[in-house]
Amino acid sequence: MSFFRRKRLFTILLSLVILVGLIGFTIRDREELSSVEEFIQDTVGSFQNVFLRPVYYVVGVVNSIDEMKNVYEENRVLKENLSTYQQKLYEIQELTKENEEFRALLDKTETITDYRPIQATVIARSPEDWFEQITLNRGKQHGVEKDMAVITANGMIGKIQSTAQFSSTVLLLNGFDRSNRISVNVDLPETDNDARGFILGYDAERQQLLLEFTDSYEDIPLEATVFSSGLGGVFPKGLEIGSIEEVTTDQYGLTQIAYVKPSADVENLNHVIIVDRTLTTRDEIVEGESE
Amino acid sequence: MSRLFPPLILFILVVLQGANFLLIPDILPANGFTVVIHGVFVFLVLIGLYYDQETTYHGFLYAIISGLMMDIVYANIIGVYMFSYAVTLYLVHYLRKILHVNFYVSSFVFFLAISLMDFLIFELYRFIGVISLTTVEYFEQRLLMTLAVNYVVFLIQFVLFKRLLTRYSLQRFEQK
Repeated sequence: MSFFRRKRLFTILLSLVILVGLIGFTIRDREELSSVEEFIQDTVGSFQNVFLRPVYYVVGVVNSIDEMKNVYEENRVLKENLSTYQQKLYEIQELTKENEEFRALLDKTETITDYRPIQATVIARSPEDWFEQITLNRGKQHGVEKDMAVITANGMIGKIQSTAQFSSTVLLLNGFDRSNRISVNVDLPETDNDARGFILGYDAERQQLLLEFTDSYEDIPLEATVFSSGLGGVFPKGLEIGSIEEVTTDQYGLTQIAYVKPSADVENLNHVIIVDRTLTTRDEIVEGESE
Repeated sequence: MSRLFPPLILFILVVLQGANFLLIPDILPANGFTVVIHGVFVFLVLIGLYYDQETTYHGFLYAIISGLMMDIVYANIIGVYMFSYAVTLYLVHYLRKILHVNFYVSSFVFFLAISLMDFLIFELYRFIGVISLTTVEYFEQRLLMTLAVNYVVFLIQFVLFKRLLTRYSLQRFEQK
């Protein structure tokens, strides 16, 4: 009997050691998932793809029936908007053409604005509220890599946290912390220059993003749009992130901060676009040379 | 079938766990409650109560495996779910030995197990530093509503699976 007790104690200790080891192994910032994790994620992911499609379809149908009530009203407003857009579209086409010509003259073909879109569908969402992450049905085989930005038509929603062969995990904007800074620009209407800053993280209480400016700017208008600046090296330039809600100073009164309301709705996601920046980053160039 | 049934249903539940947020009524998050539906865990408790014999540890084993899968697919930090699931299922197995299982007893065991499991997960994540809730906030915002919602899940699964589990358990263990 005493042997059994000792054995039980031994097992408990061993399992605690394994637990701590596993947590320690997985909590650090890893570049790649291990192949076992990739395998399990892909297996579950592919089943999710099959099983959850009908579920989402039904939810979608129910939602669209709900929306039907407002269709008439919306249609009228949209028609009015459409005529103005026609005008804008023509202008934009002209500008794009002009821009391309100028670029050709300068021999500069790639910019940090360019990106290749990878269409993806949300197949699952973490049941644990503390991990703001969703799973997409595109992985390494489709060219997805860690740290790529993920957007919807309304704006940015997050970045790729890890990738398996056929699925990948996205860290949503409201899960961002100090280790996931985004370099951003804020449109200032008065001057030609943009205000520069960083998205530092997410304020869970206000449900808004925290923006820290690198300089002090006189008049930052409320409702000004916040764009990614492309200088962080990962995201392309010009992805919409949100609009400014309040400008204040931090707790020491030294730096200027602002609260940014994300423009995309991260709670209600279905189809998203993964943004593959076409311009190679410095890291990749260095890697290429060393090979 | 008696061998395949539990792991099969468990796998399906792990897969469906990714769409569980659709089932949570909108009213709860709007009022500041966070609710997690532990579909997989509810089934594990049922296995522990109605499938396992006194000397078998299937619930415990399945808890480790499905906990590991949950960790990998939904959390990216491995070990937390696995540990909490395993510890609670061990407790369920122990309780089953000393209690006579009927509906009321299994409801009681279920409440005990799910509170312990959710609290373990919370404490572990807090210890690691993933979340920064205080214990009081956790009780107010999460635990109570999670218990309520999961009891509904428990009732549904009880109706669906209880008979099947007892039957397969008999088929598998009594004939030897």
